[in-house]
Amino acid sequence: MPIQLAFTRFLNQHFAAQVDNFLAAVHIHPAHPSAPITNAFAMELLIFAGLLLYFVVIRATLSVERPATVQHFAEMTHEFVGSQSESIIGHGYERFTAYLTVLALFILLGNLMGLIPGLESPTANPVVPLGFALVTFAYYHYHGIRANGFSYVKQFLGPVWWLYPLMLPIEIISHFARILSLTIRLYANMFAGDLVTLAFFSLIPIGIPLVFLSLHLGVAMIQAYIFMVLATVYLSMAVAHDH
Amino acid sequence: MVRMLQFSKYFFMTMAAMFLAVPAFAQDTAATTGPNYGPLAVGIGMGIAAGLCGLGQGRATASAAEALARNPGARPGIQLFLFIGLAFIESLTLFTFALLFVRTAH
Repeated sequence: MPIQLAFTRFLNQHFAAQVDNFLAAVHIHPAHPSAPITNAFAMELLIFAGLLLYFVVIRATLSVERPATVQHFAEMTHEFVGSQSESIIGHGYERFTAYLTVLALFILLGNLMGLIPGLESPTANPVVPLGFALVTFAYYHYHGIRANGFSYVKQFLGPVWWLYPLMLPIEIISHFARILSLTIRLYANMFAGDLVTLAFFSLIPIGIPLVFLSLHLGVAMIQAYIFMVLATVYLSMAVAHDH
Repeated sequence: MVRMLQFSKYFFMTMAAMFLAVPAFAQDTAATTGPNYGPLAVGIGMGIAAGLCGLGQGRATASAAEALARNPGARPGIQLFLFIGLAFIESLTLFTFALLFVRTAH
């Protein structure tokens, strides 16, 4: 039986049977049938619900004359991500702003969650960043093909024809390495932050771990930003025409 | 004669290197009884990775600060490249960290 957080235990008490049935339908047999919902998944559900509520509230209170506090915050994030992607992608950046904003907010909330007692960072589990990386990978390739059509394949080939057999494998490997690097960067940062705080807590249980906790706070925000910026850079490379 | 000496020097050096390498292949049987080198590997590996990563990030940050001092107007572009560069340098250390954690956790 794995160690469960309060929210995970609550979910497992109420939905374990349904989740087991669903997993059995797709031929997956969880290691603990009485607790198929992991902590990371429960935390992700929590973030999902929070973000959904946040966007619903923004949409409901949207007003030009009297903008509410949440609207100011939403405009701030939108402006930040928008100006960032405009400077990187340039023309036609608007259609990516929604995805990038949600990605940044989801990762930011996931990273900051580990600082609240009783919750933990879902991003400190390698599966969750892998999911973000895979979705980003599929997303930028989809937009690359949409923007460039069949000539998207030219981005994987070198400048001259006799380099094609050399460049194609290298480019394919480097694109898959992006998944690896995005995953490991986020996961290892969050995991190492928790681990360092724990290690210093075991040495000196008063005061000192707080320094590393505040360092972790900075890292959490920087990593959400980095993930968003790298997704933007990959998108800008994929949709670029002059290659 | 000199040639012969040179040849035998290289020959014996090669042989010595090959015989030195043999204990590394016999780790499977020795690992169960021998001392646990895991913490040593973590210390040396993380030390090298973090130290060199620190040097690289220091160079990158120094150049960015210099560029900002020369041209404060270019702040957004420099900041973006600084963050991306630092993220890529740092991820090399994090690969080491992840590998060490995977290999020595059990």
